[in-house]
Amino acid sequence: MEQLSGKRFPTNPKDYKIYEEVGEGVSATVYRALCIPLNEIVAIKVLDLEKCNNDLDGIRREVQTMSLINHPNLVRAHCSFAADQSLWVVMPYMAEGSCLHIMKTAYPDGFEEPVIATLLREVLKALVYLHGHGHIHRDVKAGNILVDINGAVKLADFGVSACMFDTGDRQRSRNTFVGTPCWMAPEVMQQLHGYDFKADIWSFGITALELAHGHAPFSKYPPMKVLLMTLQNAPPGLDYERDKRFSKSFKELVGACLVKDPKKRPSSEKLLKHPFFKHARTNDYLARTILDGLSPLGQRFRVLKVWF
Amino acid sequence: MKGLFKSKPKTPTELVRATRELLVYVDLHWNSHEPKRAEKMAELSKLIRELKLILYGSSESEPVAEACAQLTSEFFKENTNTLRLLINCLPKLDLEAKKDATQVVANLQRQQVHSRLIASDYLEANKDLMDTLITGYDHVDLALHYGHMLRECIRHQSIARYVLESEHMKEFFRYIQLDHFDISSDALATFKELLTRHKSTVAEYLLKNYDWFFADFNSKLLQSSSYFTRRQAVKLLGDILLDRSNSATMMKYVTSKDNLMILMNLLRENSRGIKLEAFQVFKLFVANQNKPPEIIGILVTNKDKLLRLFQDFKPDKEDEQFDADKAQVVNEIKALEPKKAAPS
Repeated sequence: MEQLSGKRFPTNPKDYKIYEEVGEGVSATVYRALCIPLNEIVAIKVLDLEKCNNDLDGIRREVQTMSLINHPNLVRAHCSFAADQSLWVVMPYMAEGSCLHIMKTAYPDGFEEPVIATLLREVLKALVYLHGHGHIHRDVKAGNILVDINGAVKLADFGVSACMFDTGDRQRSRNTFVGTPCWMAPEVMQQLHGYDFKADIWSFGITALELAHGHAPFSKYPPMKVLLMTLQNAPPGLDYERDKRFSKSFKELVGACLVKDPKKRPSSEKLLKHPFFKHARTNDYLARTILDGLSPLGQRFRVLKVWF
Repeated sequence: MKGLFKSKPKTPTELVRATRELLVYVDLHWNSHEPKRAEKMAELSKLIRELKLILYGSSESEPVAEACAQLTSEFFKENTNTLRLLINCLPKLDLEAKKDATQVVANLQRQQVHSRLIASDYLEANKDLMDTLITGYDHVDLALHYGHMLRECIRHQSIARYVLESEHMKEFFRYIQLDHFDISSDALATFKELLTRHKSTVAEYLLKNYDWFFADFNSKLLQSSSYFTRRQAVKLLGDILLDRSNSATMMKYVTSKDNLMILMNLLRENSRGIKLEAFQVFKLFVANQNKPPEIIGILVTNKDKLLRLFQDFKPDKEDEQFDADKAQVVNEIKALEPKKAAPS
């Protein structure tokens, strides 16, 4: 039962035609490109190896994980190869960019509940798969939830090197110690013990709030302040006046994820059975509701780069 | 009352036996048009997943030592050859089952039964399995799975020695330059493990194979046209030569003029990454207290260039050790005098 991976993507830079930039991170840039021999549009993440000091082992693990992934809600690497001083990772192109992108362009105050439920269910399916294989994603956030033109949702980026399709938040805090810690679980901040899958569940809860409000809680504060607030304050939730529009089950879902003690958070598998996901709809619904009328990604990216 | 008739869950021993039976079946019936084949393959994938869950636990439960030990002893039971069957059947499994099987094999290398690593005993008697795993690097669909298994197997010293002494070592110079980054970097990780993990074996190996090994290392890796290969190779060279157990090899390496010239070319590259790693090796040539005249000759001829190069040469982060090494190298080079021509 040999898997027919079908198309073999070429490993020569000359076989790709690079178009516009669609995302950037600390040490990587993402481009839309054409794979000439296969006549297929792809996204290529170009990592500058000179800037990745000595974490080449980390990069190897990230790329290997990405090339062995086999799940509709995760971005798989078609192939990867070195081109001079950079590493090219060829991936499927997700034409609508990230949820962060979409919110900044058209939904600055967040999405409607059925949209949120649909997005989160797809992300959670990805987490169930990753956790089942022993991977922790470490970087769950709206900027890493990518949407394709047909409304398909994929979780991208395994957190080591750069953030695909992500400008704005991370850029501003590039010189601080780890980027913005808004999505980071308390136990990760404290660095006392190792952390596990449950750290992703916290980030998932923060991402739920991000999709509901258009930004993560505390996102207006400097990183050190966020650390203190996350550790000292009660966990954030959906309990403001403006949150009245949300259902009880959504509030419960957020509450279940944002518990400071990681042992008390549900596993991704268990969370997927939460009644909130009864509100989730189809990919087609996403395509019809949130994607309708958005300008092309490259154009949006340029506008966002000026503004954020 | 339905629950009463539910079949009891299989014990770890029974699971391994059932897996083995299916592996034998798949091995024998691969080319026949057996109608039940798809069903059997699905069953096999399920069993391998269950073996993995016993060894690793799940998000709800930790692994149980007793169950792991039972599984391991049955897996390596005499005359059953389960590991060989599994490795040979790997190409026939689907991607998820391949990943699960790889994790199972990796984990078994660390399982102790009556405080013995019985996986090591098995491999000792079946060393040819390493040949299968290594040649996996030439197959895109198998490379990462066999590569991962291989790295776990060479945790056993005798197995690492077998690989080091095999003809495959020569092939690694090619594998680590393959086009696919995920595969070439995996081969490099294995190569590095072979050359750094078991100190005494490595020290002996390098001395015995010095000539061809460093000739290939220099020409194929340090002088490769690929930036990535050069950078990784010079880092690995530093790791090898700076290891105290390899001091005899190091002393030999730093007395060669050709080696020095290669390292000096790496020092002159545009890449800071390569420069900094090259310095870690270059400093050994300078620090050698019994420098042969031809080494002194080259250093003296290039004295000004070298001193200029070191002027604004430092890593991104503050590094006291680096600063001290650099100061010592600079002083040492400044003090070098050309051999005065004898007065006529």
